Amino acid sequence: MVHHVMGVPGFYPWLLALWLLPLLGAIVCFAFGPQLRRVAGAFASAIVGASFLFAVICWGVGTQTVGGALGAHQVLFSWLPGFDFGLLLDPLSLVWALVITGVGCLIHIYSIGYLEGDRAFARFFAYMNFFIFAMLTLVLSDNFVGLLVGWALVGLASYFLIGYWFDRPSAVAAARKAFVINVVGDVGIMFAIILIYSRIGSLSFGDVFANVDKLGTATLLAVLVCLFLGAAAKSAQVPLHTWLPDAMEGPTPVSALIHAATMVTAGVYLIARCAPLWSASKDAQLLVGTIGGLTALLGAVLGMVQWDIKRILAYSTMSQIGYMIMGVGIGAYEGGVAHFLTQAFFKAQLFLGAGLIIHALSNEQDVRRMGGLAKKMPFAFWAMLTAVLAISGIPGFSGFFSKDLIIYGTLANGHPWLYAVGILTAGITAYYMFRLFFITFFGTYRGDVDPSSLGIRHPELAGVASAHADAEHLHMSGWVMNVPVAILMVPTVFSGWLLFGGTHSPWARFFVSQFAQIRLPAAPISEGLTSVLTFVLVLAGITVAYLRYATPSAQRNAVERLRRETVGMPPVLSNAFYFDAALDALFVRTSQWLGYLAARYVDPLVIDGGVREVVISTQWLGALARAFQSGLVRAYAVLLVAGAACFIAYYALAGGAR
Amino acid sequence: MIDSLYGAADWSAITPLVIVAVTALVVLLMDLLLGKRVGRYGAIILGSLGLILAGVVAAGGYGLHQTLFGGAFVLDGFTVLFEEVVIIGALGSLVLFGAIGREDRVAGATALLLWSATGAMLLAGAGTLLTIFLGIELLSLALYCLCGLAPRATAREAALKYLLLSSTASGFLLYGMALLFGATGSVTLSAFAAPMLAASPLFWAGIAFFFVGIAFKLSLVPFHTWAPDVFQGAPLPVTAFMSVVTKAGVLAVLARVAYSALPPQAASALLLPLWVVAGISMVVGNVGMLAQTDLKRLIGYSGVAQVGYILVALAGTTAFGLRAAIYYLFAYTLMNLGAFAVAAVLSGDGEEGTQLAGYRGLGHRRPLLAAAMTFFLLALAGLPPTAGFLGKILILSAGVASGYLWLDALLIIGTAISLYGYAKVIGAMYARDEHRSPTTPRPVVPLAWASIALCALALLLLTFHPFASSVLP
Repeated sequence: MVHHVMGVPGFYPWLLALWLLPLLGAIVCFAFGPQLRRVAGAFASAIVGASFLFAVICWGVGTQTVGGALGAHQVLFSWLPGFDFGLLLDPLSLVWALVITGVGCLIHIYSIGYLEGDRAFARFFAYMNFFIFAMLTLVLSDNFVGLLVGWALVGLASYFLIGYWFDRPSAVAAARKAFVINVVGDVGIMFAIILIYSRIGSLSFGDVFANVDKLGTATLLAVLVCLFLGAAAKSAQVPLHTWLPDAMEGPTPVSALIHAATMVTAGVYLIARCAPLWSASKDAQLLVGTIGGLTALLGAVLGMVQWDIKRILAYSTMSQIGYMIMGVGIGAYEGGVAHFLTQAFFKAQLFLGAGLIIHALSNEQDVRRMGGLAKKMPFAFWAMLTAVLAISGIPGFSGFFSKDLIIYGTLANGHPWLYAVGILTAGITAYYMFRLFFITFFGTYRGDVDPSSLGIRHPELAGVASAHADAEHLHMSGWVMNVPVAILMVPTVFSGWLLFGGTHSPWARFFVSQFAQIRLPAAPISEGLTSVLTFVLVLAGITVAYLRYATPSAQRNAVERLRRETVGMPPVLSNAFYFDAALDALFVRTSQWLGYLAARYVDPLVIDGGVREVVISTQWLGALARAFQSGLVRAYAVLLVAGAACFIAYYALAGGAR
Repeated sequence: MIDSLYGAADWSAITPLVIVAVTALVVLLMDLLLGKRVGRYGAIILGSLGLILAGVVAAGGYGLHQTLFGGAFVLDGFTVLFEEVVIIGALGSLVLFGAIGREDRVAGATALLLWSATGAMLLAGAGTLLTIFLGIELLSLALYCLCGLAPRATAREAALKYLLLSSTASGFLLYGMALLFGATGSVTLSAFAAPMLAASPLFWAGIAFFFVGIAFKLSLVPFHTWAPDVFQGAPLPVTAFMSVVTKAGVLAVLARVAYSALPPQAASALLLPLWVVAGISMVVGNVGMLAQTDLKRLIGYSGVAQVGYILVALAGTTAFGLRAAIYYLFAYTLMNLGAFAVAAVLSGDGEEGTQLAGYRGLGHRRPLLAAAMTFFLLALAGLPPTAGFLGKILILSAGVASGYLWLDALLIIGTAISLYGYAKVIGAMYARDEHRSPTTPRPVVPLAWASIALCALALLLLTFHPFASSVLP
């Protein structure tokens, strides 16, 4: 029931519009797609742009503190006791809302160019707008149920968009994989919700966080582990990360928006949102921090050995989210959230830049078949360069500030091992990003080289476009794709400066009321020294990448070098540490086997439909006889009697024991 | 004279049943006297009016607490709620005859359906073993005929299968009743709560056989095998009827026995096997659902799991659990009827719109219909913000409150599995359909549309109306 509260605060209509406009856009695009046709893209982009504007308007109320309560909170309707649905806009959700709508708007505009001529143009934008709505539901709701609703809906949107090109079997398989792994996560959150509700009797964030002590140590740990299962599945943490690289089957703007900037960071949001819960359990913090660190390292290692440009970026996303999870996990909340912000910018830019290249080369995604693009595509070159500098953590660029905040936070919170992992990963990150950069833009164009001389054995499996692009006639993108990338360059370079100034930085002041402990205890190594240490490793990474791929001799022998690297790749790396194979053996095979058993013995009709035809007869008597002869009814009766025997056996034993 | 045996209160308590049974007679008479002049909808409309009247009259009994006919029939809030579920279920199935029923058989089918519903209503208030048996047999006998109604061999096969297996189960049920009578010397359910019975081997044996029969009628694993076959073979409205009314009637019996007719100190041990099979059903039913290509068969499997969900709520035999179960039963009834009504709209020319292949691209051909179907499927999957979601939350809370966490866990796992099955159908509806099959013009089916609208509206009300909160403890 909707309560129309007397004297609804002035911000409320804006907040509601911010949240619901994308839903409206999705419905309109879906219902009137054929009529809108070309306008759908502009319309959907305008909707998200308006949503962004409303988010900016709500800035003031989102950061205020009224009566001890941070941000703007409005109950939308009271459903059941403990199930009030409402919107909550505080600094945390404001950051997410701004990124979702801001970066989202730019990617919408970019998509207009990228998907030009696609058969279901309007449907694509309907899904994209729907995703924005779902993601806003996730971050704006003031309770666990609303969060779960958004959580499930973004999963659904992601499923639709990964499988958008549903005539590609690999896209359909990837969509299904993402869906299944994410449902595992949803189940985890569902368990957590039940546990919370059974102990606290309410699911609104405010009530739950105020009553953390009611949960008890063991239950709290169980709740947090369940929540983290959800976070790990959504944010591609080890060992639930295998869906993310496959998800690159979706259109590149989808990878940029959903699988880099926003949805995959939902796990970071969940942990930061539940900071009061996590801060109460050291064990859970250690678990999350360790998994995050492991993911950061593993993603970076796997990023070093990929050839598909989008898969390199996917593993890099996984690694960067590992940083964020590590940050929020060990209690450096504002660091983790800051890295979300900067990563959203530079990673979106990396994907959109990659999209420019893929678009120009007629869907070529294999970096071995690129090369020498710096002269041909100067704009993409500069766009990628700024983003690569940012993600590598070159001082002055955004990634430097946020990454250092996390790395230093690990040490300050007493996790020297994670500190080491963080610094090491920073070095590897610089290496694989510059590897990508050098291979793609330096040397000479290799699109006309025979794939086998590059060591590509199965071109059709390696993301290699079937029709190779003519080096002289690249399919250059128009302004509609270039402008969003150009705009993104600004925050990619400068957004890190928000973090400059320690406890007095704009960022720290922004979050000072959000997270109880914004300043960490002193660590044995100072923050400045940490930055220097990290930078040394970053420089080392870049140097190695330069020596391997960009020295004049390396550029001359590029084809031979790449072939050797491809052929000499250890199987353990080219198979991504066999995670897929392990999951396959553990779960997929098992369930297939169970499914086979079920089909064989529980539902004979599934595999043996022919029997049914035999059973069919025009005569009742004939049917009677045949029904028995076919074995089906007999089999059913046997099962019935067997079940009855179990029942009777139980009652005989249980009753006899009395 | 009967009147001297039973008073006015007795007769007024079963007025709704009498109305439904008499309506069936009137429908038959009308068909006999007026024949074709009544047209396709005459019997349906008359039958619906009878059901609505019965529903209104039955609602008047809410708040009473009477034991009538010497204990054979109990009238209380519980009875009324289950009667209403049965009436809604019967109504929602009856109107679908308009979409696909053959004209010359509609009257007969209507009468059978009404009698079957009468049996289910009798189960709602059954207070003795005899009433239970009477109700179950009335319900089932009419259904055997209904299953074989369609002029298809598969329908006959379904009827036969149902008859054979159901009779076996009835045998178990009857044998259990005989043993129970032997143990207690009484057929009245309330006599079974006597503490000394906990030590009677005969009583334990009787309960064993009795519950086997009940589990079969509820199509719980491993007694579920008949359900998908019969559901698929039966005509669409009959499948709709079976998927809700049969289950509601038998659930009423089970709930009454579980809550008030078992010796308290042995109740949890006596009921345990039912909860175990409920737990298995939630997983097996949802796994079985994944590979289905026919909506009726899919609902058959999903129904196996859905009954399991409802049993989770009953497992603790708490008052809150009962409310949660009834809430979910109402929601389940409405979403099933809605989904079947969508299929009915898609039916025509002697072909039922239940082949899931025919749903591909429906979102583009019939956006409104596809949206309705999506809504019902989301509810069946238990996704927010539908009544299915709220119902599951209530059931899970009931499970937590009574300590049956393992059932909660199985429920969540089952739900997770089912998501894929439902999402597949939804995904297919909104996929692009390049090879559009030529759609033959279907007869307009206003009654089915009305059913869709009412089910959707009622589900929304059930979700967002404040009375939803009255279910909570």
